[in-house]
Amino acid sequence: MIYFAKMKGHTQSPPRVRTAEVLWSWIGGFLGIAAVGLIHYNLLDQTSLTMIIGSFGASAVLIYGAIRSPLAQPRNLIGGHMLSAVIGVAAFQFTDGIPWLAAALAVSVAIALMHLTKTLHPPGGATALIAVIGGDSVHQLGYLYVFVPSGLGALVMLIIALLVNNLAPNRRYPEFWI
Amino acid sequence: MSSANLPECNPVDISDDDVMAAMKSMQGYIDITPADFKEVYRLAYALARERMMKAFKAGDIMTTPAYVVHSDTDLIATATLLAEKGISGAPVTGPDGGVIGVISERDFLRKMGADQEGSFMQVIAHCLKNKGCVAAPMVNRTAGDVMTAPAVTATAGMPIGRISSLMSKKNINRVPIVDLAGRPLGIVTRSNLVNAFCMLG
Repeated sequence: MIYFAKMKGHTQSPPRVRTAEVLWSWIGGFLGIAAVGLIHYNLLDQTSLTMIIGSFGASAVLIYGAIRSPLAQPRNLIGGHMLSAVIGVAAFQFTDGIPWLAAALAVSVAIALMHLTKTLHPPGGATALIAVIGGDSVHQLGYLYVFVPSGLGALVMLIIALLVNNLAPNRRYPEFWI
Repeated sequence: MSSANLPECNPVDISDDDVMAAMKSMQGYIDITPADFKEVYRLAYALARERMMKAFKAGDIMTTPAYVVHSDTDLIATATLLAEKGISGAPVTGPDGGVIGVISERDFLRKMGADQEGSFMQVIAHCLKNKGCVAAPMVNRTAGDVMTAPAVTATAGMPIGRISSLMSKKNINRVPIVDLAGRPLGIVTRSNLVNAFCMLG
């Protein structure tokens, strides 16, 4: 019975943030994604490189919307994306032709590695998965995927987070670097 | 039994409303549920309390040296010493210099007609009923005759948390601090503990 009782939950949702927090989160999210988007569409468009991947949308939630979270700190942002990218590319290359296995391994090993290295960053799971399901354009990058888009995109978003999150008098970012 | 089990020692617990109000007053999205926060708080609080209780030892807070009386000392001299020093009790030492008991106001009161708990008002009542001073029978007695024995003692290394629970459990007001041979080094009274807990904030 305890097993089913646990499914009912036992506490309440944290309070809603103030309107100012909503506004600053919006500004950060807009500028952060705008930055990687501009690089992607204006600088890298002619090359085979890519700069914008889906997992950056998730990172934006954390580093502009939940900036105190341990999951949103620079160590987690950069480390989580780059380590997960390595795992994703490796999972695709080592399990040639078994996409379901590659996808499952990419995400699960990425979670484990992020835990072990104290770099847990939920969007990292998406970065690992995209290395498998992202299609030929991603597969052709090989391990370059770790640096562009994963590492560089995370770095650009980090710079925007540092610039925007410290503008408001009672917001500060990061909590810690490493 | 630790001091935490005594009703008067229970710390103020925080409520869900306290946590929600605190989270609301902080800027930004706090990435934790109220229940998880309370769990962290409780565990951290227990650790902090443990550390404080262990950080201070009897030797750090004891009054030293303690005024002691020998078991052969007559009660007139004993009472005079207590009165002169403004204290309400003292360790009693035996022939080898070790602490064998404690003598306090309560032991005197008990001899004067009060019951085990020994209160001055009981002695007043006893006096009024018996029309006379009830201290007279004690003239030729010694500290060793009326002391409470064996003494509840502690070593200088005992954490003050354990001294507190010892006092509560035994319902006593002072604990002589002794060396390994049982000789007195000092004394910890309830007021020493009150001062120590003040320092802990």
